[in-house]
Amino acid sequence: MSDSPFIKIEQVSKSFQKGKATITPLENLSLEVPRGEFLALMGPSGSGKTTLLNLVAGIDSPTSGSLWVGERELTTLKRGQLTKWRASHVGYIFQLYHLVPILSAYENIELPLLLTSLSKRDRRTRIEAALDLVGLSNRATHRPTELSGGQEQRVAIARAIVHDPELLVADEPTGDLDRESADSILQLLSRLSKEHGKTIVMVTHDPRAAEAADRTLHLEKGKLTR
Amino acid sequence: MLPFTYAVRNLFRDPSRLLQTVGGAGLVVFLLMTAAAFNEGMSSVLSGSGSPKNVILLGTGSEESLERSEVHLEAEDIAATSVKGIEQKLGRAAVSGEITYQAPVETESGVKEQAILRGVLEDALLVHRAVELETGNFPGPGQVMVGRLAHRKLGVAEEELATGRSIRFGDATLTVSGIFAAPGTVLESEIWFDRNDLATLTQRDTLSAVYLRLDQGKWEDVNVFTLQRNDLELTAIREDRYYEKLAAFYQPIQVMTWLTAGLVAAGALFGGLNTLYAAFASRIRELATLQSIGFTRVAIFLSLVQESLLATLTGTLLALLVGYFWIDGTAVPFSIGTFHLDLSPAVILTGVAVGILLGIIGILPPVWRTLSPALPKALRSQ
Repeated sequence: MSDSPFIKIEQVSKSFQKGKATITPLENLSLEVPRGEFLALMGPSGSGKTTLLNLVAGIDSPTSGSLWVGERELTTLKRGQLTKWRASHVGYIFQLYHLVPILSAYENIELPLLLTSLSKRDRRTRIEAALDLVGLSNRATHRPTELSGGQEQRVAIARAIVHDPELLVADEPTGDLDRESADSILQLLSRLSKEHGKTIVMVTHDPRAAEAADRTLHLEKGKLTR
Repeated sequence: MLPFTYAVRNLFRDPSRLLQTVGGAGLVVFLLMTAAAFNEGMSSVLSGSGSPKNVILLGTGSEESLERSEVHLEAEDIAATSVKGIEQKLGRAAVSGEITYQAPVETESGVKEQAILRGVLEDALLVHRAVELETGNFPGPGQVMVGRLAHRKLGVAEEELATGRSIRFGDATLTVSGIFAAPGTVLESEIWFDRNDLATLTQRDTLSAVYLRLDQGKWEDVNVFTLQRNDLELTAIREDRYYEKLAAFYQPIQVMTWLTAGLVAAGALFGGLNTLYAAFASRIRELATLQSIGFTRVAIFLSLVQESLLATLTGTLLALLVGYFWIDGTAVPFSIGTFHLDLSPAVILTGVAVGILLGIIGILPPVWRTLSPALPKALRSQ
């Protein structure tokens, strides 16, 4: 692990117009996340957790401040450049899985690999490894509607890691799961951080989920409180 | 790029929506192809009816209508001997004085319909070169010769006007002596009488027009003749120009055809668009997810275009099949003749072009709605 933080956020603010009002979900926030850390972000609704997650994932851009992920300063990238950067550096895990319903588990996991120059054979190898890692090798041909919530989230995780990104962002990944499935997903994320060196930023409302992380930060009204 | 299978499978997400989109596109393409075939058929028969070598001598002031024109009987012989450069065949000048008349005729089955009647002598065949006798013989007194599409103009079965059958005009019963073809001209819908019969039946002592077929001569020569013999009160007009003028007269009908087809098509189009709109709007989050994975908006747009084109071109194919089995070759009567609806290469091209345009332009509003929201907002949509 190098000394410089993997994620470095300096005085980042994000605001947008809603009607005549200016909303500022994040205000002068600074944060450093070392490479390989599993970080949990907690806070009440509207505290800016998801906004921060989207900024780190390159889904959104800050209004001011600077934001580094790895060697790249995201604030200097344009929309198209951010899209390309996401394709190779980020895996996004959503609360509601966001799988494409008309594609099988295998095909959903294949999506990020279609943006690479890998051959079909190499893609297959990667997808099988990802399926194996999430314990769903026997569900490759199933469509999302044929899977349980926990299995869907595992497929979503496999899709997020299949192209081997350095950063995983997870927005309430256990928010829609029962306790047993949630624990299993958290164990998987923990393994990805510890055994595979992934840097993970996870937004959660659930204190038990946060316990799986290496560190937990709390946000309130767009500011880190502890 | 997103895989092609993504576009194909998306089509079948909702079969009822797919049916609506394909049906809407098919209806639009079919209507516009029919309008194109209608206008092409009408233009083609009008432009094909006139020969640049033929000049029509009409009564001055009646240049717009053969039926209203009156020409002295002697004008035929005077023109034949005075105008230079008239085509000669076996020593006979290609000059034909004719009576043109529109009136109802009655078939044996009692159908009484408006028909175009032409009173001619055999010299008419020297002038109207497209005319070929298919069966029977040229009409003598008490006989008529019918164009092979005349039955369509009257709205009766072909057998009703077969050789040997009879028609009634006024108080006279006339026997069909033969059937003639005149491909691509309005003549095919006419009923040709012996000129003297028609003059008697219509109580006319004048001709409607004198047709001249020129060989070395030019229209200017005929025009000079009409000016020199102003006592005959004639106007010379090239036959092809006469039909060009007629075509201009029918242009509002062609515009109305496009307009009507366009309006009905617009209804179908908006129905189809609404379906596409709903189909895409329900996928805002999914498309945002693809963007979050790293697919560019251009890649997603191209996939949606593929999906839309698959639907509209399927509709186009169906429209072509329906057109082939239903309208191709259909004879459509109009006031001065009959024309065919043909699925010509130009009509097919129109249909395919409309299908492609529908597929591309039709998805722009739903794509805008789907891909324009900011990514964080789109990811939160239901």
